[in-house]
Amino acid sequence: METIIDVNNLCKTFKIHKRGTGFKGAVKNIFHPTYEYKKAVNNVSFSIKEGEMVGFIGPNGAGKSTTVKMLSGILYPDSGDITVAGYVPHKQRKEYVADIGVVFGQKSQISWDLSPLDSYEVIKHIYKIPDKKYKENLERFTELLDMGKFINQPVRQLSLGQRMRADIAAALLHSPKIVFFDEPTIGIDVVGKDKIRKFIKMLNQTDNITMIFTTHDMQDIEKTCERLIIIDDGKKLYDGSLENVKKGYVSSRIIEAEFESLPITLDLPRTEISDVENNAMKKLISFNTDEVSVNELMTALMNTHNIKDVSIREPEIDAIIRDIYEGKIVMN
Amino acid sequence: MKDIISLFFAYARTGLKTRFQYKLDSVISTFAVFFREAAGIIAMYLALLKFDTINNWNIDELLFLFSLIFITYGIFIVFFMALRDFSDWIKHGDFDRVMLRPRGLLTQLVLCGADWLAAFGHGTLGIILFIISANRVGIQWNFGMAVYYIVVVISGVLIQGAVFLFFSAISFYVVETNSLKEIFYWNMRKFAVYPLSIYNKFIQSILIFVVPFAFVNYFPAQFFLRKADMAAYPEWMMYISPIVGIVLYILAYAFWRFSLRYYKSTGN
Repeated sequence: METIIDVNNLCKTFKIHKRGTGFKGAVKNIFHPTYEYKKAVNNVSFSIKEGEMVGFIGPNGAGKSTTVKMLSGILYPDSGDITVAGYVPHKQRKEYVADIGVVFGQKSQISWDLSPLDSYEVIKHIYKIPDKKYKENLERFTELLDMGKFINQPVRQLSLGQRMRADIAAALLHSPKIVFFDEPTIGIDVVGKDKIRKFIKMLNQTDNITMIFTTHDMQDIEKTCERLIIIDDGKKLYDGSLENVKKGYVSSRIIEAEFESLPITLDLPRTEISDVENNAMKKLISFNTDEVSVNELMTALMNTHNIKDVSIREPEIDAIIRDIYEGKIVMN
Repeated sequence: MKDIISLFFAYARTGLKTRFQYKLDSVISTFAVFFREAAGIIAMYLALLKFDTINNWNIDELLFLFSLIFITYGIFIVFFMALRDFSDWIKHGDFDRVMLRPRGLLTQLVLCGADWLAAFGHGTLGIILFIISANRVGIQWNFGMAVYYIVVVISGVLIQGAVFLFFSAISFYVVETNSLKEIFYWNMRKFAVYPLSIYNKFIQSILIFVVPFAFVNYFPAQFFLRKADMAAYPEWMMYISPIVGIVLYILAYAFWRFSLRYYKSTGN
């Protein structure tokens, strides 16, 4: 299959106005403004083949959205090259965006005061979608995304999950070749997330649409993608199969426990204790089930400490990133 | 072109639909615009009863001068509302949506931003003023004058559009531009209510060279009224409003295109 997205040494730096604190700082700022430079995207390269579905993950502020915005032609890169479907997005914006769809989980693309259907009518005009294709697509997405019940209701009355589905349909009506999903499941309940994930995956398989899916929810990726790009602090950390990451990921666990007394001592292999913000008595204990079983760890904890409360957490993206830094997950 | 017009109507339909989601608010706001502006005119009228004339302009001539501001502004907010409120478009991330659609950026902004109800308020007022005053200032209307009147109205809209296009280009660098608009547009507009010739040289040059409101109403009105104070300016200034409009708009557009690359979008 052919390469459809090609990104080379992409960089984007934001100049942030640093504000002093207090009155003195504010006055000083007027005369001597100080700036901080944040490298939002730092020398990132990757390429994606037609029909691929790639998960783009990283913690908040890692540079995911900035990358998606450069890929979709909204932001100018400082340096580096982007070619998508034969276009340079920020230079050939008008021609290029007819081929792509973008879904922002945080920002609706359809009008708050109108029904989804009203917004779709305008979209039809903007993209010059032929009547027949518009009707087909609308019927298909209404059915697949189960929108029949709310397609005529003002968007402000919809639940977040419904609004998101309406937004996804809006981005697909013109049959784009490439679709970017920027945190499409953020804030949505488990059932709603599942509907969205299933739909995205199905669409990728049946329509051969190339997709980039950013999220900080590891579950999103597990349910949809085979390939994963992890970025942190603007840099690409990992680019490879999900399988490879999962090996380390499945066996790593975190226990959150609240103790009655401190300090905590544990003598187990590869077990780390870290603090929780705002609560000195609460600790996070991360460990690997290949080396220490849950049973062993709990026994060790119970024998030596009094525990008030305990819960087991799914490993988060941060844990995976730490594993990569420590060389436990190797790019393949 | 046909396609652009159909897009304009598609936007207009949804725009009005949106406004009529809140029927009471829409009706009240239209009246509010009308009465707020009418109150300003009444205040001026009452003040003028004391003076009779200002620099030899009588009340009807002043209303004629005034009507050009309202009529051009009424049309201006049909096409340039999005540029007038462009900082908000950037702040709320709405400009991202515009960038993601396969149409010209300004085409979309110009076609989709109309505030129909406010336009209706300003426009009606302008037309009422125009009808009252145009009948009483003794203009001998002929076909050529009617055409030139339409031309100067379009030029006036274009000049104000260009001014806001400049402001919106500045929004790409600093986002918020409210004080700039306050100083360089709304205050200048207040000056433009009265004949240019009553001001000192400094304010006159601002109104001619910086924010050329003089070409929105004073010089075009002089074409129709031929008042004696025109002697202070070259006569050709009565004819160049369309050129000022077009040149200013092209300059503003070039600056806007250039500034676009500095657009930072908003963080999540």
